[in-house]
Amino acid sequence: MIRVVKLNKFFGDKQVLKDITINYQPGDCSLIIGASGSGKTVLLKSLVGLYEPDSGEVWYEDILFNKLDFKEKKNIRKEIGMLFQGSALFDFATVEENIRFPMDFFTDWSNEQKLDRVNFCLKRVNLENVNKLFPNELSGGMQKRVGIARAIALNPKYLFCDEPNSGLDPHTSILIDQLISEITKEYNITTVVNTHDMNSVMEIGDTVGFIYNGELVWEGNKNNILTSSHKELNEFVFASNMAKRVKEMMG
Amino acid sequence: MKNSLELIGKYFLLMKIVFSKPEKWKLFWKQFFIDTEKLVISSIPIIAVISVFIGAVIVIQTASNIESPFISKMYVGYMARESLALEFCSTMIALILAGKVGSNISSEIGSMRITEQIDAMEMMGINSANYLILPKIAASTVFNPLLMVMSFILGLLGGAIIVMITGVVTLSQYQEGLQYSFRSYYIFYSMVKMSAFSFVITSVSAFYGYNASGGSLGVGRSSTNAIVVSSVSILVVNLIITQLMLN
Repeated sequence: MIRVVKLNKFFGDKQVLKDITINYQPGDCSLIIGASGSGKTVLLKSLVGLYEPDSGEVWYEDILFNKLDFKEKKNIRKEIGMLFQGSALFDFATVEENIRFPMDFFTDWSNEQKLDRVNFCLKRVNLENVNKLFPNELSGGMQKRVGIARAIALNPKYLFCDEPNSGLDPHTSILIDQLISEITKEYNITTVVNTHDMNSVMEIGDTVGFIYNGELVWEGNKNNILTSSHKELNEFVFASNMAKRVKEMMG
Repeated sequence: MKNSLELIGKYFLLMKIVFSKPEKWKLFWKQFFIDTEKLVISSIPIIAVISVFIGAVIVIQTASNIESPFISKMYVGYMARESLALEFCSTMIALILAGKVGSNISSEIGSMRITEQIDAMEMMGINSANYLILPKIAASTVFNPLLMVMSFILGLLGGAIIVMITGVVTLSQYQEGLQYSFRSYYIFYSMVKMSAFSFVITSVSAFYGYNASGGSLGVGRSSTNAIVVSSVSILVVNLIITQLMLN
C-alpha cells in the first residue's frame, strides 16, 4: 500500500501540487487523471522520488519514502517498476539487455536464469523473438510492452505508469491497458497509472483520482465517474463531442 | 557571477556522486572498455591525420624562419620536437578532442536525460551519474596520454616525410635535431597535461549533458556549452600545470 499525506510541490513561486492526500491499494489499478499541466506527472514523479516534494509524506507500507536518502531509497526502488511516457528504453541496449539491466545490477542470477526471466517477461507482454532488436527497430506499442517487461523484471510490488497510451492507436492502447490491469491482478501489485485517456479510465480504473490545478478534487471509480456531478470533472470527462453525444443519449 | 558559482557548485556536487563506488565492478569494467573504444580508439584516425600534417607544417614553418647561416639546420628537428612535445600533442589535441569527444558525450547523455532514460536508471535504484560518467572519465584519463604519445611520434614522422619530399633540411640534420638535448621529462609533462585535459573534457561535457533540459534544442545547447567551457578550462589548466611543472 502507498499512502500520500498532504503532499505539496512548488516550482519557483508556482504551487503545482496542493495538499494531495490519497491511498493506493495492492491489486488495484489506481488512475490519476486530469488535463495536461494539472500536475499528474509531477505527482507521479514525486511518488517515486524523481521530484522531492516541498512538504508532505509518501509512505510505502510503513516506510516514509520521501525522507530517505538515495541509498536508503534504493531498497524500495528495487520493488518499483515504472513505465515512462516515451518508454525510456536504453538506446544503447537491445531488448534483451534492456530487460536484463536491473537483473545485472541487483541479482546474482546466472546468465541462463536471467535469459529465462527475460523470455518469461517478454512472453508475458505477448512479445517473442525480439530479444536482439534495438528500441529504434520497434513500433511504439512494442516499445511500451518492452517497457512493461522491464518494469516487471524484478517482480515489483509497485508499478507506476506515466501516460502508457500516449502516441498509440486506440486498439493498441486497449491492449496495453489490459496488460497493465492483468499484471496488477495477477501479481497483486499496487499500480498507479497517470493518464488523460478516458478509454483507459473505463477499461482499468479500479480507483480514479481527478486532479485539477494541482488539487485532488474528486475520487471515485470507473463506475461512478460518468454520473458524478462535479463540474470540473464533467468538463474533463465530456470534453469531446462524442462523449457529449453519449451523455445526451444517456439522458 | 552568481550563476557561474552555482554552476561550479553543481559540477562539484555531481562529481561527488560520480566518484562513488560502482554498484558492480563487473559492469563498470564492461562500460570502461566500451567507452575506451568509443572515446579513445575511435579518435585515433583523426588524431593521426592531424598530427602528421601539423608535424609537416611545423617543420616547413621552422625551416623558413631559420635563414641565418649561424644557426644550424638541425634546429628544425629540435624545434619541431619541442613544439610537438610541449604544446601541440597535448593542448592542441585536447582542444580537438573537446570538440569531437565533448560533443559526443554531452549529446549522448543529454539525449538520455530528455528521453527519461536517466530517470529510468534512477528509478531502478542505480546511481546513473556513476554508471554513465565514471567509466568515461576513467577511460579517457588513462588512455588519452597514450594518444598524446602516438600524436608525438606521428607528428615527428610527418616532419620527416616533408623533409624527404621537400628537402628543406636533410634527413640526417632533422634526425640530429630530434635527438639533440632530449628531455624525457617533457613527454611526462605532456602526458600529465593530457590526462588532466581528458578529465576536464569528459567531466565538463558529462556535466552539461547530465543537466540538459528543454528538448532537442536543450541537447544542442548543452553540447555547445560543453565544448566552449571545456576549451576554456583546458587553457586555464594548461597554464596551471605548466607553472607547476616547468617553472
